[in-house]
Amino acid sequence: MRELELYFGPQHMGMVGNMSITLKVEGDRILEAQTNPGWLHRGFEKLMEYRTWIQNFPMVCRINVIEPDSMEMVYAMGVEKLAKIEVPERANYIRTIVLELSRLSSHLFGCWAYANMLGFDTIAQWAMYHRDLVLDLFEELTGARVYHIYIWPGGVRRDLPKGFKNKVLSTLHTIGSSVPDYDATFFNNRLFYERAKQIGKITEKEAKELGATGQILRATGMKFDIRKIEPYAAYDKVDFEIPTREDGDAYSRVWLIRDEMIQSVHIVMQCLEKIPQGEVYNRIPNPFKWKVAKGEAYVRVESSRGELGLYMVSNGKDKPYRVHFRTPSYPHGLLILEKLLENASIADVGNTMISLYVVAPEIDR
Amino acid sequence: MNKLLKGELESAFKDVLVNILEETRLTATAPKDAVLSILSFLKNKGYDHLALISCVDWIEEKEFELVYVLTSYSEKDRKEHIILKTRILRKKPEFKTVISVFKNAEPYERELHELFGINFEGNERLTPLFLERDYKIPPFRKDFDTREYVKETFDKIPFVEEEKE
Repeated sequence: MRELELYFGPQHMGMVGNMSITLKVEGDRILEAQTNPGWLHRGFEKLMEYRTWIQNFPMVCRINVIEPDSMEMVYAMGVEKLAKIEVPERANYIRTIVLELSRLSSHLFGCWAYANMLGFDTIAQWAMYHRDLVLDLFEELTGARVYHIYIWPGGVRRDLPKGFKNKVLSTLHTIGSSVPDYDATFFNNRLFYERAKQIGKITEKEAKELGATGQILRATGMKFDIRKIEPYAAYDKVDFEIPTREDGDAYSRVWLIRDEMIQSVHIVMQCLEKIPQGEVYNRIPNPFKWKVAKGEAYVRVESSRGELGLYMVSNGKDKPYRVHFRTPSYPHGLLILEKLLENASIADVGNTMISLYVVAPEIDR
Repeated sequence: MNKLLKGELESAFKDVLVNILEETRLTATAPKDAVLSILSFLKNKGYDHLALISCVDWIEEKEFELVYVLTSYSEKDRKEHIILKTRILRKKPEFKTVISVFKNAEPYERELHELFGINFEGNERLTPLFLERDYKIPPFRKDFDTREYVKETFDKIPFVEEEKE
């Protein structure tokens, strides 16, 4: 049979996100795949060297379009570590609530993408609707739906508004009470099982070799979650589980997303109950004249997709000297996707890619 | 844990400077020839997760600093991070690839090749990753001025003139 080169994306129906793959195919079998990122490269890390520590926030949150809060968190943690700023206890709890709500919205978006790709349009619309409810909460809390710029060095920008707790609880109740519907129509659906089982299978050894984190690693049976390993914010004060699966295929990864959403709901509920009174931020110096002490730091958080790290260098000036984000999609999209697509069929490209939960802007930065 | 590792690293390699940054972060500065052997030494010690390869352009000292951030997948030292640093001359931006030790180094080296112009000998896939245009100076170096570049490149594009009726 003749070997052909096939371009997949960035504007393709089966593709979510601005990324393209060059496939070498024979019939409908893929011989070789090459991912081409760069459609969204904005050079943020370079631009950050021209702006003050605080001015960088509007760029930081735009690195990951779907889940901006963990980006803000990791940047704020980096600045706090370099400048040695303490965070008040109440702010830690609020941060945890925001991060978990944002994980929830991101996972719902992931459910939308996956269900949509498989043709489960109803479930996709439900997920989108529920994500919108979470975004409404963000709108009330921060004033913005998508890019919040809420987490700040030294705490968060403002306290929870009046009556916010009840609104969160009612939204979580709405989402939680539709879990049986999701299960009956999607997660326990035979079609989903047939379509996702044994797709994009990866072993624990391979996953480790290629630098995987997040669901991809947890789907192979490894309990690896930075919220437990190096607790930040208030994660050491709440009780939650790390869901894992054994098979390492698309089916396990999508199930993990569902299980993690339930854990997120539990964490938010606990935080709302335990949240102490007090200040929500420690005053930082005048941002225009703020010089951060010389030094370097590597901090990391568990974003909805895996390990999100930040290497930051300061040379004692009012601007960072070097900022480099270690985003989870980077190894997932560039190495693991290429590996899993070898010998797969063309119909499974979208399936594999969306189950890996790759966000293209995170790779490009 | 950190003090133990500090001692081990310093006794196994002569010119390594180890500094304890904080409880779970350790920096090690090594000469460039020793990097590959230190990385495989650490990998055998259980630090099997290469989280990041980064580069810092110290233009005043005329050097690039390559940074390898290592941590572990195994249960006992998951918290620990080793930040291994080495310096190469800006005039001669060449280094050896570490793919033989860590497979996932490939895209990081590809990125540094494109953005800093560092040539990693032995990496066969140093093709463009993000950038579309050709740049005289690799754009993430400190002597590349983004604002100047934008002015030069995009100011020359004439405005679309309004049609006169």
